[in-house]
Amino acid sequence: MLTQMIFHSWHRNPRRTALTVTTVFLATALISALLAITVSVGDQMARELKSYGANILLEPAVDGDYLDTQDLPRIKEIFWRHNILGFAPLLAGTVTADDGGEVAILGTFFDQPLPVEGEDDFHTGQKIIAPYWRIDGAWPDDARPEALAGARLAERRGWRVGQTLTLAGARPVVLSGILESGGEEDELLVVPLALAQELLGRPGRADAARVSALTVPENRLSAKARANRDALTAEEYDVWYCTAYVSSIAHQLEEALPGARARPVWQVAASEGVIVGKVQLLLLVATLAALLAAAMGVAALTAGAILERAAEIALLKALAARPRHIALLFHAEVTVSALLGGALGCGAGWLLARHLGQTLFGAPLAMAWITVPGVLALAVAIALLGAWLPVRQIAALAPAEVLHGRR
Amino acid sequence: MNIIETHNLTKSFGSVIAVNDLTISVRRGEFVAFMGASGSGKTTLLNILACLDTFTSGEVFIDGHNLAALDEEGRRVLRANKIGLVFQQFHLIPYLTALENVMLAQHFHSVTDEPAARQILGDVGLAHRLHHRPGALSGGEQQRVCIARALVNEPPILFADEPTGNLDEENECNILALLQDLHRRGRTVVLVTHNPDLAARADRIIRLHHGKVFEP
Ligand SMILES: Nc1ncnc2c1ncn2[C@@H]1O[C@H](COP(=O)(O)OP(=O)(O)O)[C@@H](O)[C@H]1O
Ligand SMILES: [Mg+2]
Repeated sequence: MLTQMIFHSWHRNPRRTALTVTTVFLATALISALLAITVSVGDQMARELKSYGANILLEPAVDGDYLDTQDLPRIKEIFWRHNILGFAPLLAGTVTADDGGEVAILGTFFDQPLPVEGEDDFHTGQKIIAPYWRIDGAWPDDARPEALAGARLAERRGWRVGQTLTLAGARPVVLSGILESGGEEDELLVVPLALAQELLGRPGRADAARVSALTVPENRLSAKARANRDALTAEEYDVWYCTAYVSSIAHQLEEALPGARARPVWQVAASEGVIVGKVQLLLLVATLAALLAAAMGVAALTAGAILERAAEIALLKALAARPRHIALLFHAEVTVSALLGGALGCGAGWLLARHLGQTLFGAPLAMAWITVPGVLALAVAIALLGAWLPVRQIAALAPAEVLHGRR
Repeated sequence: MNIIETHNLTKSFGSVIAVNDLTISVRRGEFVAFMGASGSGKTTLLNILACLDTFTSGEVFIDGHNLAALDEEGRRVLRANKIGLVFQQFHLIPYLTALENVMLAQHFHSVTDEPAARQILGDVGLAHRLHHRPGALSGGEQQRVCIARALVNEPPILFADEPTGNLDEENECNILALLQDLHRRGRTVVLVTHNPDLAARADRIIRLHHGKVFEP
């Protein structure tokens, strides 16, 4: 009978019920989409920001020493190997060109296949860690005598795409493209590492390597570790080590490559964390605003319902119903609306997250099914929060005046 | 033994004194009619006696309980156990059937008891109307549902404020016969009316005028 009362009152005023459902629906759709974004924004945005450069520089621990290129695959064997998006060794030097003049070359990986356990078909090189490089022409093949000429160098020398250069007096190299990086590479002739090693007579060696890793924002723990790692307690050390801070990844790289020193490129690394943190805060604020707005909407609708049903409430009071008991009817009613709105909102939020993910990150955001009960609970919370204030009015409603149809 | 007693009861709404220094009593099992012109304070008095409203000064005892000493919750409990209410406008829940309307009173009082609710509706002559909604019932039938609802928890006192105000003469007669029957079976009945013919059926008439007892 009570269920019946709730059901009847629920669908007796379809306009108001629809409004309540819609309010909760809009809020939960927005909130679940924002939630999906908040959760994935960390990874996705870090990935995006990675397009502005590598965040760890590997150098020989001793000045004048070199990195052994045979060791480099170990970069993908550390604890956080899955967070290593890629790396590229660097070997610089000068060679003579056709015209007899000197030319500065940089040997590196462009898109070098590398056998890595658990990641089939792993490629690494500038194509992965420097996605902002603009190539007029084509990327060189790492296995062939091909090169990119930095834009300013090419302009000075009048080099064109497709031209063949002769380096060091005897080595023909095809210019597959002209490179615009906005950095020092614009002055360099960028060649496959193996070719540079051969031309410079330094087989198996590299000066340094750039590493691009997905990291989490720095916080107090990582700052403490950066200041003095020995000051960490054993427990703190474990937490730090098992968190993808740029500093802990750098530390693990040093462990894997004993002759190397890993230096976080703080500018990039730090701003990444800060930006992600700020975006997440923004999303959180938007979520709270949506929640509050929806609760206020439900409050207004419930207040209307109570006003409209004053006679019924007065009657229930006259029949000795406890105010609490009557409030329960209204709470149950908005809960039903909230569950319906929340369920619809989950679905719409899922679509919205897919769409937003596609536009923002070029990939649909996954929405974990585990969020469904969470969002439903949130929907009910919104509704109950909204209904709470007006429902308190029930206690103050005097049955005497309503019931006897005065005047 | 008085089941209702007031001593110098006063209720004012701002400057309007609706009940003015009123001292009355009703014996257990008595059938009393409150009579008076519109605006004489009948409804206000009834609301106070039925624990639906507070008063400004004086004392009220319902079955020995001092109302002034009770808070809202105390009045609610007293109302649940002692008082049945019959309204001029019936106040039935439109989307519940006659039977459900009666069971609603049981629910808020204690627990629902469908056989008892059927029985009481049968007693007021509605055995064939249990599953009709108020909209499908005549005014007289609706008022009988309202009486059944007032009686289902077996309160010792029944308050009826102009119960026939919205009914035709035939139904008025039926309802009054029902109230008289309840009185014969031992209930205290307080009937509010401005109709002298109805009031004449009561054991005693208390006439109100401007909130005071009026002795002609
Ligand atoms: N809630 C109220 N606010 C202000 N005045 C009221 C209120 N209730 C009753 N009154 C006044 O009290 C007087 C008695 O009203 P009422 O008890 O309804 O009379 P009756 O039922 O005899 O017609 C009237 O003058 C009425 O206007
Ligand atoms: Mg009246």
